[in-house]
Amino acid sequence: MTEATAMRNAACAAALALGLGGCATAAADGDPFEPVNRAVFAFNQTADRYVIAPVARAYGHYVPEVAKQGARNVFSNLGEPFTFVNDVLQGEPDRAGETFSRFFVNSTLGLFGLFDMASMMKVAEAHDEDFGQTLAVWGVGDGPYLVLPILGPSNLRDAGGRVVGYATNPASALAGDVVGSGVGAGYAPTSLVYGGVDTRWQLDPLFTDVEKNSLDPYTTFRTTYQQNRAKEIRNGAEAPPNSSYEDIFEDTK
Amino acid sequence: MPHVRTTRRGALGLGLAAALAFALPFVPLSAGAADADAEAFVDKIGEKVMDILRDGSLDRAGKLAKLRGLLDESTDLDLVARLVMGPTWRQASPEQQAAYTKAFRQLINKTMADRLGDYGGETFGVTGSREANERDTIVSTQIKRPGGQAPIAVDWRVRNTDGERRIIDIVAEGVSLVVSQRDEVASIVGQKGIDGLIQTMEARAKSDKPIETTQPLKQG
Repeated sequence: MTEATAMRNAACAAALALGLGGCATAAADGDPFEPVNRAVFAFNQTADRYVIAPVARAYGHYVPEVAKQGARNVFSNLGEPFTFVNDVLQGEPDRAGETFSRFFVNSTLGLFGLFDMASMMKVAEAHDEDFGQTLAVWGVGDGPYLVLPILGPSNLRDAGGRVVGYATNPASALAGDVVGSGVGAGYAPTSLVYGGVDTRWQLDPLFTDVEKNSLDPYTTFRTTYQQNRAKEIRNGAEAPPNSSYEDIFEDTK
Repeated sequence: MPHVRTTRRGALGLGLAAALAFALPFVPLSAGAADADAEAFVDKIGEKVMDILRDGSLDRAGKLAKLRGLLDESTDLDLVARLVMGPTWRQASPEQQAAYTKAFRQLINKTMADRLGDYGGETFGVTGSREANERDTIVSTQIKRPGGQAPIAVDWRVRNTDGERRIIDIVAEGVSLVVSQRDEVASIVGQKGIDGLIQTMEARAKSDKPIETTQPLKQG
């Protein structure tokens, strides 16, 4: 108990030092910067329409699937040590063990990560952790929602975690978003390095869907990011029964 | 590819989960039921979807018509529409409520049509269930994808009203259809009011062009 509290206090201090949102534990602090965020979002959409999407589609259509998958595997493998560190920081020894095994197997039998042997041999499935998630586990709230130029949806905590991620894991800078923190941020046009282009290609159906069916694309990206990110932070566990989600359904009859 | 896997999941949850889930084939996995009846209910819907998708005698339009029928009978769309409107529902006149609900249904149909055809080789199975409250059960399912891609977790919220079960939300990788649509609707209502919302939805249901949205009015 005291240990957890001490850890949380340390995390809050660290968060403050990084200029993050401090320790608001509320699930979401809303979108106080909405006008600025919308402006950045509009810029990102334009960059996507004229540059990022065409590049990603060319990559998607012309690079053979086997090459794409190999590259994804290599970058993913380079990110495993980073995931391992965050597993440990989050106090998840079992997941840390899985990550370690994956990195070991894939770096050797998988030929420097080219093949995901760990999944094929059922050693362990991949999962991500990043420093933003670690901060969340330590009790740092989301902070306000942010749309980062080119990188897309984030929040104050995850943006700070992303900086730490890039600083501590050179592979993340190389791979764009593949292993960087603020993982879910890849919903939006990302950097023009490999991870960004590949992610954009994989998300092409989503982008088309939003274009065709969303009432308000800005809000669609925001809510999707926030909800999916909350689930990642819970590592897939159920939301608490007294959550605001449950309140929605109390509303009726 | 952890990153890609994650975002892809989110993509599938993008407020379009209903349409998605109704167009996926189905394979039962396990039992172990917290609520066997609710699980069987979701299971049965899955079987019907699979039958429709595999029916070689149906063309695309035929499949779509059948899926729409299934959506209608297994989902309480009027309640979903109302939940999506949230507190604004009570401010709307009966005429606005009716027009909104109609537009909501049109939009669901359009989304479903757009989504149909995006699938190939996925299978679907119930993995468990839990009680959310005295009326609602959440049935968890997994959609398995071909080619070694990570499976997608989809939860179905089933409401039991006097013994009659109907779906009232679908949550794909943590992204709820109701929550997503609710956020979008709240944003549009904030910008354009209730009539503006209905017009936007009607226009959206008729067109594939991106909707241009204005800055929301900040209220102090």
